[in-house]
Amino acid sequence: MSAKLPHPPRWADWLLESFCAPHLLEEIQGDLYERFQRQVNLFGVRSARQQYAWAVLSFVKPFALKRRPNPYPTTISTRLAMISNYFKIAWRNILRNKISSLINLTGLTLGISACLVIGVITSFELSYDTFHPDADRIYRVVGTVKFNNTANEEPIGFIPRAIPAALRSETRGFEIVASFHNLESGVIIPGGKQEDKVFKGRDMDQEPARIVLADPQYFEVFSYTWLAGNPKTALNTPNQVVLSEKQARLYFGNLPLAKILGKEVVYRDSIRTAVSGIVKDWVQNSDFTFTDFISLATIGASALKREINLNEWNDIWSASQTFVKLNKGSTEDKALAELAAFGKRHFGPDRGTGEFRFAPGLQPLSDLHFNAAYMDNFSRKAHLPTLYGLIGIAVFILLIAAINFINLSTAQSVRRSREVGVRKALGSNRSNLIGQFMSETLILTIGSMLIAMLLAKPILFAFRSFIPAGVNFSFFNLNILGSILSIGSITVFLAGFYPALVLSAFRPAVALKGSGNNRRQQRGYLRKGLIVFQFAVSLLFIISTLIVGRQLSFIRNKDLGFSADAVISINTLHDEKSTVLAQKIKQVAAVERVAMEWCAPLNDRYMLNKLIYKGDEIKELEASIKIGDENYLPLYQLQLVAGRNMRQSDTLSELVVNESLAKSFGFSPADQALGKLLNLNGRNYPIVGVVKNFHETSLHASIKPTVIAYLDFMAKDIAVKLNTKGKQMRDVEPILADIKKAWTAVYPDEVFNYSFLDDVIQKLYSREQKTAQLVNTASAIAILISCLGLLGLATFTAEQRTKEIGVRKVLGASITSIIALLSKDFILLILISIVVASPIAWWGMKQWLNNFAYHVAIEWWVFLLAGVMAISIALLTVSFQSIKAAMKNPAESLKSE
Amino acid sequence: MRRTYLGEFEEIVLLTVAVLGEGAYGVSITNELDEQSGRSVSLSAVHAALHRLEEKGMLSSYLGDATAERGGRRKRLFSVTTQGSQILHEIRSVRERLWNAIPPNSLPSIAFDL
Repeated sequence: MSAKLPHPPRWADWLLESFCAPHLLEEIQGDLYERFQRQVNLFGVRSARQQYAWAVLSFVKPFALKRRPNPYPTTISTRLAMISNYFKIAWRNILRNKISSLINLTGLTLGISACLVIGVITSFELSYDTFHPDADRIYRVVGTVKFNNTANEEPIGFIPRAIPAALRSETRGFEIVASFHNLESGVIIPGGKQEDKVFKGRDMDQEPARIVLADPQYFEVFSYTWLAGNPKTALNTPNQVVLSEKQARLYFGNLPLAKILGKEVVYRDSIRTAVSGIVKDWVQNSDFTFTDFISLATIGASALKREINLNEWNDIWSASQTFVKLNKGSTEDKALAELAAFGKRHFGPDRGTGEFRFAPGLQPLSDLHFNAAYMDNFSRKAHLPTLYGLIGIAVFILLIAAINFINLSTAQSVRRSREVGVRKALGSNRSNLIGQFMSETLILTIGSMLIAMLLAKPILFAFRSFIPAGVNFSFFNLNILGSILSIGSITVFLAGFYPALVLSAFRPAVALKGSGNNRRQQRGYLRKGLIVFQFAVSLLFIISTLIVGRQLSFIRNKDLGFSADAVISINTLHDEKSTVLAQKIKQVAAVERVAMEWCAPLNDRYMLNKLIYKGDEIKELEASIKIGDENYLPLYQLQLVAGRNMRQSDTLSELVVNESLAKSFGFSPADQALGKLLNLNGRNYPIVGVVKNFHETSLHASIKPTVIAYLDFMAKDIAVKLNTKGKQMRDVEPILADIKKAWTAVYPDEVFNYSFLDDVIQKLYSREQKTAQLVNTASAIAILISCLGLLGLATFTAEQRTKEIGVRKVLGASITSIIALLSKDFILLILISIVVASPIAWWGMKQWLNNFAYHVAIEWWVFLLAGVMAISIALLTVSFQSIKAAMKNPAESLKSE
Repeated sequence: MRRTYLGEFEEIVLLTVAVLGEGAYGVSITNELDEQSGRSVSLSAVHAALHRLEEKGMLSSYLGDATAERGGRRKRLFSVTTQGSQILHEIRSVRERLWNAIPPNSLPSIAFDL
């Protein structure tokens, strides 16, 4: 009968039920219904429903919202007693389910450790140069450069040296324009009557930049605390130097700061400066690691003026940097517009800069630490995608661990339904129960947090090759404590909330009757979904590991087109003596061949030059140029496909080109190129040989047209091929010692530096090697945690189905069929996760491989292999439990009821 | 004992409960108010007033019958308590005293239609 009556809007009903105090709900809703029926009769259904909704809304009033107070209020003392009871029960439960507690503890510890360590690293990287006053107004002047008509436009982090002065006089948008030039130099502190103190120049790969030639404005853009000297005059005249406090202490020991003022510091053996100021070192992270600020005016008053031309418009040097502070209230766009006009005025046809073009731009200070497109001589670049990747890995690992927790606790919920029933019957309400179950999660999480904090230092140490120097972990850092607390509370919420919700939802009558739960089926799906997610993530990591590993071995084994085996590169001082050194090295026994060169066929640098061929039509080409003498080809075993090697000569007279260049100029077959004249730097030279293509940059880029030529003034570095046939690594040491002897004979005061070409080439892929290590570790951890979870679930299922297995065995089931029965569910889930993970992994890996011009194909069997690996690991995990369950004597399992 | 203050709307609701006798509950009171005073009253305002009056001890209530049109929900039936009745009487006597004290013709006369 009531079904025939028109119904008021359900959402309004739901709304009323959700806000109205329970003790008033019946009468209010009843009244509303009665009125609704009357209004249906009077005005029709539509209007009645509208009025009903309005009436419901009008009940949002204090009297209807206010709940009736609990007739049995909890006092502080009972609350405390309950809380201590929660923890007691939680502790007992953790002890009772040792396996699952241990699994949860391990998983959560790994997850939290990963989050903590990665958090420390990312916050370290993100903290760079964030502390400067007015940091949002500080920009570096950068730009795009085009060296000549045929060159490409390239983004560049440094600008022609004449620009800073011109900016000051010609523009009005900048409050301050500051410039500095990095200087690489040793330092001498004259000792007077005692011996001089000598400090070597820095190792460019290892140590941060220290010495700059700076104008006074530098200290206006970047604020330092002055400990001694006058900031207004400290850098105004030639031969002044401002030192950081630590550096002053290094140079002069414990002299009072005031006495250090005026002391002499000598750079490059001849640039004499007097200390005019001392500033406090910054304690925060900064790329501006400078400690010696020599006044810019020193350039004009010393030999540096030959090296640094401050009036130069048509070239750029990475050592020369310009920073500006925008006017208050100005915007980046306004400043850019002014800079664009400035650029147009100074660069273009007939502006005296030839074909050189430069378009100035701005880079925010916050971008400095991350943007690798703008290179310079001082800042260390952090790779943002790697950082995001790290964060992603941390989050996924924590999620997997949380899923273990959810799965194990919900799986065991039936066991605890009776406890919930009793508690509810005795007056617990749902929020009490949620609190109780959360306290269990809390105990485990706190345990994991403590272990993770203890582990953080060893982990940071183990992965120190990845971790930028300066990352520090200390227990008493507020940031670290704050982040570990937030990681912990997120974990408690992620892992604990859902199980608590499920467990507290049991209806006491049903729970006490012991017939399980009517929502069981639904929960099973959730658990399965979570397992699929876990394994999909693990598979993602496995597939990445496989493909990254394949690409790396491809890089290692790729035929580069030349031999880097047993080749040592020695950088000389680029003077006349280098030839003498080469002669001396040639005489060392076990040295097979020596070549004078600028840079090996493949190295971390390369040079581009314009080549012109005047055939039927004039063709221009941007080619990579390698400098080497007649020993270059045989030393690197570059293979000639046509023609011959260049002959010994004192100057440039012949060229050898690669196939790619021959093809680009249209000489095909390759021997067509022989005898053709190419114009290099305004003169024609004949091609005498064509070599097979070889990789002249890392495999990230494709092979460029390349020319090998002998330019005597550039071929000053030395390549040495050792005869290592039948020798071992330890036999190389004496050869190196002999070469070093030759070096010391020629350059008595210089340090002997050499590198194996193999190592140099490997270094080109250091980022990829780090990526590989990273995905390997991540997949190991992900698989470990997922399998732990699986193990816990398998143990639990086997335990639950003991009776069923007993009955099956009595009825004649074989052990294999029982193992299959227990394993097949898991296998199915993993198959699903393969289907989920494969396309995502395929897409991600394709993006990564696209960084390489030469890369392996993503083959289908990789996915198959990853799947087989995941399934076998999972089977191994599960089978231990299933075999144990299947082997059990049915008499044992069936005897007790 | 401090005399409890009664608002004008509360007074009318209390009177209406008295008028309706046995059958006074939210809807019937609202309808009666509609008819008697001619002003449109919202159900929630009536409920709020009833709730306040009960808190002040002027009304007592019990849950009555359920009907189909109420979706099987019971109604809360109200009746005036002794205290409520006392207040109503006090208010009435104050008013009557005041009416009686008005000197003849001091109020401007109004025309009655009926």
